[in-house]
Amino acid sequence: MKTENLKHDSAIKHVTGQSVYVNDMDVSPLQLTGRVVYSPVAHGLIKSIDFSEALKVKGVAAIISAGDIPGANQMGLVIHDEPCLAEKEVVFIGQAILLIAAETEEIAIKAERLIRIEIEELDAILSLREAIQKEQLIAPPRYIVNGNADEALKKSPFTFEGELETGAQEHWYLETQSALAVPGEGNEMLVYASSQNPAETQAIVAEILGLAKNEVDVEVRRMGGAFGGKETQANHVAAWAALLANTTKRPVKIHLFRDDDQKITGKRHRFLSKYSIGFDENGKILAYKVELNSDAGSSTDLSRAILERAMFHAENAYYIPDISITGKVFRTNFPSNTAFRGFGGPQGMAVIENAIDRIARFLKMDATEVRKLNFYGIGESNQTPYGKLVENNRLHVMSDRLIESSGFYALRKEINSFNQENKYQKRGLALTPIKFGISFTTAFLNQAGALVNIYQDGTVQVNHGGTEMGQGLYTKILGVAASELGVSPEFVKVTATNTSKIPNTSATAASSGSDLNGMAVKNAIDTLKERLVPVAKAELAKAGVTDVHHGNICFKDNRIYIDSYSDVSIAFGDLIQSAYLNQVSLSSTGFYKTPGIYFDRETGKGNPFYYYAYGMAVSEVQVDVLTGEYKLLRTDILHDVGDSLNEDIDIGQIEGGFIQGVGWVTTEEIRWDIKGRLLTHSPDTYKIPTINEIPLVFNVDLLRDYPNEGTIRKSKAVGEPPFMLAFSVWLAIKDAISAVGHHEFEPDFSLPATAEVVLMSIEKMKMEKVG
Amino acid sequence: MNASKQVIRFLLNERLVELDFRDHPELKPTTTVLNYLRSLPFHKGVKEGCAEGDCGACTVVIAENQNRKLVYKTVDSCLVFLPMLHGKQLITVEHLANGNELHPVQQAMVDQNGSQCGYCTPGIVMSLFGLYKNQHQPSSEVIKDALTGNLCRCTGYRPIADAASGACVFHGVDKFSTAETETLKSLDSLNIHKTHIEIHTSTQHYYKPFTLTDALEFRRKHPDALITGGSTDVALRQTKKKELLEKIIDISDVDDLKTMEEHKDTFRIGAGVNMERLLHFSASRLPALYKMLKIFGSLQIRNLATIGGNIGSASPIGDTLPLLMAYKANLKLQSITGVRFCRIEDFITGYRTTDLKTDEMITEIVISKPPANRIIRSYKVSRRKDLDISTVSAGFSLLTVNGNVDDIVLAFGGMAAQPARATKTELFLKGKPWAEDTVFEAMEKLYHEFTPLSDARAHADYRCLVARNLLLKFFEDSKGLSL
Repeated sequence: MKTENLKHDSAIKHVTGQSVYVNDMDVSPLQLTGRVVYSPVAHGLIKSIDFSEALKVKGVAAIISAGDIPGANQMGLVIHDEPCLAEKEVVFIGQAILLIAAETEEIAIKAERLIRIEIEELDAILSLREAIQKEQLIAPPRYIVNGNADEALKKSPFTFEGELETGAQEHWYLETQSALAVPGEGNEMLVYASSQNPAETQAIVAEILGLAKNEVDVEVRRMGGAFGGKETQANHVAAWAALLANTTKRPVKIHLFRDDDQKITGKRHRFLSKYSIGFDENGKILAYKVELNSDAGSSTDLSRAILERAMFHAENAYYIPDISITGKVFRTNFPSNTAFRGFGGPQGMAVIENAIDRIARFLKMDATEVRKLNFYGIGESNQTPYGKLVENNRLHVMSDRLIESSGFYALRKEINSFNQENKYQKRGLALTPIKFGISFTTAFLNQAGALVNIYQDGTVQVNHGGTEMGQGLYTKILGVAASELGVSPEFVKVTATNTSKIPNTSATAASSGSDLNGMAVKNAIDTLKERLVPVAKAELAKAGVTDVHHGNICFKDNRIYIDSYSDVSIAFGDLIQSAYLNQVSLSSTGFYKTPGIYFDRETGKGNPFYYYAYGMAVSEVQVDVLTGEYKLLRTDILHDVGDSLNEDIDIGQIEGGFIQGVGWVTTEEIRWDIKGRLLTHSPDTYKIPTINEIPLVFNVDLLRDYPNEGTIRKSKAVGEPPFMLAFSVWLAIKDAISAVGHHEFEPDFSLPATAEVVLMSIEKMKMEKVG
Repeated sequence: MNASKQVIRFLLNERLVELDFRDHPELKPTTTVLNYLRSLPFHKGVKEGCAEGDCGACTVVIAENQNRKLVYKTVDSCLVFLPMLHGKQLITVEHLANGNELHPVQQAMVDQNGSQCGYCTPGIVMSLFGLYKNQHQPSSEVIKDALTGNLCRCTGYRPIADAASGACVFHGVDKFSTAETETLKSLDSLNIHKTHIEIHTSTQHYYKPFTLTDALEFRRKHPDALITGGSTDVALRQTKKKELLEKIIDISDVDDLKTMEEHKDTFRIGAGVNMERLLHFSASRLPALYKMLKIFGSLQIRNLATIGGNIGSASPIGDTLPLLMAYKANLKLQSITGVRFCRIEDFITGYRTTDLKTDEMITEIVISKPPANRIIRSYKVSRRKDLDISTVSAGFSLLTVNGNVDDIVLAFGGMAAQPARATKTELFLKGKPWAEDTVFEAMEKLYHEFTPLSDARAHADYRCLVARNLLLKFFEDSKGLSL
């Protein structure tokens, strides 16, 4: 049964407008709309709250504050530093203070306008630099060290020091944060959430309501995009809706207005990184010392794990013998920053990629040569700073193939002559690699559950702990289940993720959704098949197979047979009927844990990843020297997904991840005013890529014939890694800027490289040239 | 059929809807088509992504009778007030398929893996449907233009573009073309009583004239009412700022304002002409305007926004204003009692303020045909090239005599509280040779001429540098042209 090219399981519902998102759900005429009233100041003390007038508005069902929370006023996951509703102090603009439940949104807004909250403003920390200077560490610094970077720097023929700022990024999922809480009998609460982590949403809702977890069910059918933004922060909206539902005993739905979503929720962490790098005249990197400083915002959220992943990716694809990586995360008065595709990896990699670009310019070498020279070796020079060996290294084969297929060196020549002929338009080119570690670096999270039910009519229902956010997980799971059972996909249905079916799941994150849940589903099916085999043998014997113990039982093409007697078979449906009549259980759970993952945070050593995913991209851009604007002319991508579970879906992840990365490195700039108010709080000023931002020529290919042993059907994770392919665009822009100064000067550069950053860099270079 | 002035009538897909706002307290005359649809059962395919016309998740198609042909337009339903549907057919994503048979654009989206999370998909499908009805075998440029107004955060767009080129190969034939005669007949019946509409609720007054005379009469009687043409600006006061718009004069269906004429020496453009029609009109006639409109908003916005609205809102960052200054355009301002003409520069009096009298409306924009030797160019610099508001926009016009600058207009948006000319730089250049040396000198003057703001879009210094450099760009562009 071929399942590698299954279409997205919701595709037809998507295109006909029939797919249901939380905001499309109306469960009762009693249903209310919830609204969040939040702090307008970045730091302050709440002096008084008066909502007496607001309560009088007809149609207002409830207004609640921190004092009305029956359980713990806490939404922090690991570190409990994030109240659900502010009590005395507010620590960021957007922090929830009150919740309103009303008949309609219009009534809720009317009520909100009658609420008086008096806040005494306090000093706020509104820049990462200031937080660093004032040592506002949210956790102790972390270190990963190999060799002696200081000594090696001293011995290096050449050294640089530098600093790089990488910007925040707004998730801009099309569906803003939503939840619908439906109270049941007694204390029961059912929450329809748009959450990547239903089990944690369940935990937070239970904690806030002061209930045991077995009273709370959370269901997630699909999200309208998430990208990490609904890994923890979807819990907030769910908790708020549940609180209001609990108070009013009526269903309450909250669907954040776009501007509120952008203001309230956290973003990709900003980083300010400092480095020293030592290298020789050939471009061989000898030493690297880097300090990664990140802006957590007002609370911890996932900041420590994100910093850890940034540190694990500080050296990207390069072997550096003496290396020292320091990670620090600081508290500021911004919304708590959170997971976002790549989870710190991009911020860690950006520094080394920019430094390599600088080395190449200094040595007047092609940066691609410097990259290749420093790639992790095969069988040697393959130990990462944290001790894991880089095995099954695909970097060399991929760079050879991509350089060939993109015509890299010919492009370089063309660009050089274009730049000689054009004064006010310059072109740039860059090739960048990625090596991305796959697994949750918090080892125990690498587990998943599944529940597979076979019904008497021979149809199959598959439940698993992963969530669908558009990435095609359900489709991949459907493919795995159909293949493993040997039945047509139309007999299999993957159901909404529900905490009552699969308990204690991990977030669908770290690109691990299909790795973990695919294996758990396979495990459940293996159990079912074990139970079915004796029944099948008995049936086959009845059908005339003389020696049912000789040969292997095959589940294929909706039939079951023994390979040595393939002309006699029974239909899958008949087998199921027979199993039922023989009192065989047709339902099984499945479980999977990734083997061998550990990491010692004290020593900074261990095996935090099951394997690495690789990718590589070449991009060509054209920059307008007079305005700083640019155009992406061409991108060639080669990406490694092992044996693809579904090529169309994997290519979709690669293209989509890349373009989202292009947004981060180019136009997606977030600005705040001096009071910490978000200026770019709507798509009017926050610019994600449109269809016009995609490369004019866009070639995407998979590295085929390199199976990944030990994973579900030898595949590899694909969700996050392609995001970082966008460094090729970022550094191609830098290459074009550099061409203005005939590659003699190192351009001022940061991320995102907006038209403004580009023009300022060009202008500065022109001044240097004159000076 | 109810002929009351309080009633609006339209086709929701194939069903006739007669809405009397007195019977529907849950609806306001300014309820957006998006919110209306989502309040109905089985019409939640349409999605709200931003409520400001920037994401296209709420895209629907409106079909109208134009000369006995159905014309299909994509619009952002979050910006359209319900009465704007009067006499038209509203087509939603739920209605495209023919029973179980998907519409060709839907099938192509499935085949090409054009959806991932699916939330933007209904809007994208409607944009593709609009493209399908209007284009046969569209070029990649046309496809991208049709989809600029639809943000997708998942796919990277490539499969969607492929779906567009795969689907649009049937000359627009589908169940809608089969039903065209029937639909036209239904629309005729809606439009029998084509008198003005007046909707009064306890909090709002909504006037919808169909003739210029009626419009001017409403304007005289209700000088405090907001005038809206395409509502791409006015609607935001409701959707974003949550204001109650108490009085509105909706001129979106005043045909008298939708004329475009080419005379011997002038172009006369009705204030109610939408940007998309103006784009096509200007292609061969006013190339600098064409260039500006090509990156104006998105197709959904251009199908709504009017040239009169863009001028009347007097935004310091309005795209067309600096260029109209370079064209030295005149405005025809009309009241029930008379007509006057006003230079565009004199019309804008400050930050979002104009010289418009309380009984007047902009009815026409008059652009003199530039002589062949006058060079007119437009420039727009923004963070993102398309569907973005300009950081700096410019309209430049140059006439040289014997190589010397005889007349020059350097008009900018984004540099001051209103669109403004760089008069000092213009004065400096006047009479001097149009040559690199002079231009470089002028650039330094220009760099210091304005004191723009730093805001969400850019810092002041960047704006000054861009303004300065655009003069050089203009000089470079003028090279090789016969001056």
